[in-house]
Amino acid sequence: MFNAQTTNARAKSRSRMSQELAKDRLGIPSVLFFVLAGVAPLTVAAGVIPTAYQTTGLTGIPAAFVAIAVILGLFAIGYVAMTRHITNSGAFYAFISRGIGRAVGVGAALVALLSYSLLQVGLYGAFGPNAASEAAAHLGLHAAWWVWALGAWAVITVLGLLRVDITGWVLGVLLTAEIAVILAETVSGLLHPAGGQLTFGTLSPADLTSAGVGTFGVLAVVAVLGFVGFEQAPVLAEEAKRARRTIPTATYLALGVIAVVYAGAAWAMAAHAGQSHVVAAAGQEGPGLLFGLGNGFLSNAAQLLFLTSLFAAALAFHNVVWRYMYALGREHVLPAALGRTGGNNIPKAASLAQSATGLAVIVAYAIGGWPPMTDLFFWLGTTGGFGILLLLALTSIAVVAFFARDGLGESLWARLISPILAAALLTLIVVLAVQNYATLLGVPAGSAASWILPASYALVFVIGLAWGALLRARRPQLYKAIGLGAYAATGQLKPTATEPA
Amino acid sequence: MARLTGTGRIADDLYLIAHHEVSGRSFLHPRAIGLGLAGALLAELALPDLIRVWPEAIAVTGRSVPIQDGLVRAIVGQLLAEPERHPAKDWLQYLARTATLDVAHRLGRAGYLTQGWSRRPWRGERWVPVDADCAFAPFYRVRGALDPAKQASVIGTTVAGLAVACGLGSRLAQFGPTGALRHLDESVRQLKPDLRELIAQTQAAVDSAVLSHRV
Repeated sequence: MFNAQTTNARAKSRSRMSQELAKDRLGIPSVLFFVLAGVAPLTVAAGVIPTAYQTTGLTGIPAAFVAIAVILGLFAIGYVAMTRHITNSGAFYAFISRGIGRAVGVGAALVALLSYSLLQVGLYGAFGPNAASEAAAHLGLHAAWWVWALGAWAVITVLGLLRVDITGWVLGVLLTAEIAVILAETVSGLLHPAGGQLTFGTLSPADLTSAGVGTFGVLAVVAVLGFVGFEQAPVLAEEAKRARRTIPTATYLALGVIAVVYAGAAWAMAAHAGQSHVVAAAGQEGPGLLFGLGNGFLSNAAQLLFLTSLFAAALAFHNVVWRYMYALGREHVLPAALGRTGGNNIPKAASLAQSATGLAVIVAYAIGGWPPMTDLFFWLGTTGGFGILLLLALTSIAVVAFFARDGLGESLWARLISPILAAALLTLIVVLAVQNYATLLGVPAGSAASWILPASYALVFVIGLAWGALLRARRPQLYKAIGLGAYAATGQLKPTATEPA
Repeated sequence: MARLTGTGRIADDLYLIAHHEVSGRSFLHPRAIGLGLAGALLAELALPDLIRVWPEAIAVTGRSVPIQDGLVRAIVGQLLAEPERHPAKDWLQYLARTATLDVAHRLGRAGYLTQGWSRRPWRGERWVPVDADCAFAPFYRVRGALDPAKQASVIGTTVAGLAVACGLGSRLAQFGPTGALRHLDESVRQLKPDLRELIAQTQAAVDSAVLSHRV
């Protein structure tokens, strides 16, 4: 009797501790919202897709979203499998450090930092002109695009220093409204196709290679750009209710939602304008290509939400960038000052570093007089997307290498077959994209931007490799901890501790 | 009741360092100070060898020793009531939920804090120092761990190590000479393994919270 009571009491207290801890952890909806916030659906649907039609002159964008969703689905199988076995799943570089090697990991870290940074500053190039035209149309305020871009920059700098994340219900409402508006515009566009006849040409796989195999490389980068953010779910692994289930489910759900929403919207735009006219229409209308699919009210709501979406995305990526810098600063891969926090646990130096980058880029484009929507938003955005593509390819290889040492109970499919397939396909896309970078940017072949932008990754990667090699030679203790994350310094202190591999 | 010499308890000094000596306002994110104080309460038990700390478990070793303080006695009770092992980081997360208020109440009973009128009642209880000098005094007690010219105490070093771990490094550095934090690293290295592990675990839990967007 006594024993039974004791056991009962113990079971109760056990469940209380587990319950209390579980209460605070994140479920699938929270993780999904977090992921989709970085994805910013309306930014892609109204910003990326029309600009992509315009600059690339290609019509296979809807089909590309579907194809990339399948490839990223393959990628995600090995990616989430590896998430289950490493404590620091905060970033691509952790995967690459643990899979391929720490020096390559440092190179990848710099590639990631450059990618996310470009994605973030690129968003100012879309926010500025769209806010300017909205303000001119509705408020009678006339100011240059860069004035609005600097306004957004200032607010994001302050919010970054106060460390405000747009999270919780604000984010939920915005995201739900964005997706609802895109779906409504899509349905409306599909109900009113050009010539009264709905065509499926842009969804056909044949459109992926309409102007040769290289076309696929270009379209794939645009599509990957749309999916950027889906890779963020493992960042929350430590905070998830049931990491083994929550993270994979949220990742696959995000991939599915994004694929359907974007492919649908891109298809509707092409169907509404007519497949042979969509490129010209995108050049004239820009984001209006999406807004024009619906009636006046829907269009107005969409234009307003487009601005909030761009702003939320810029803030989300600002936070991604400083967290990356903070993680790298803590591991002494970047200057340690970036890994320090001030009052209220805010890493001021890391946040300000990204703000400085944003300011420099906006000012440079304003002085240079370059078109913000194409040369800032689309060029830097797609180049950011290209960087993520490089990391996806490297990460697939890292997954194979990681499980080659020890399968850790994962299936052959998860640890070998799907990551090898993903690595092969992603590498092919990288090669095709590099060969056709001029088409991607919509510039004549051989122009400076078409090689400087992709080559910048090679440069930072080599710098990273060299820095990694220097750390290995000069500071082996720091080198050993690269990619191990927050818990690297624990557990090494007790006498019986086993050293990490 | 409040004295300049303090209560001699690790969590009490960490609480006072993490809050403004007049307004009682926190310098840290609530989650970070919660984790810091959870580490400090466990350190109060690790200091007299009442518990042992490993990354994968915390074990009660000194059951026969009577514990005066009700708060840490309750924690020992919770540790003993758990039939299965939990990693140190889970214990920190678990204790962090209530640690800040628990320590505030303890400091209240000791006469260092008093419950203040809250301008924002939805934010929960607000505690303010009774005497600003007594609330500031812990800075003097940790200076030994920051200054090579001074003698470091175990409690002072532990408090300073935990303060840096939960994000008070820049504030602490103001009160030491140049290179104070580097010297603190050396002082912490002299502590016994359980206290070092608690400091490292606290640092990791706070870092992890920052990186996963929870702080």
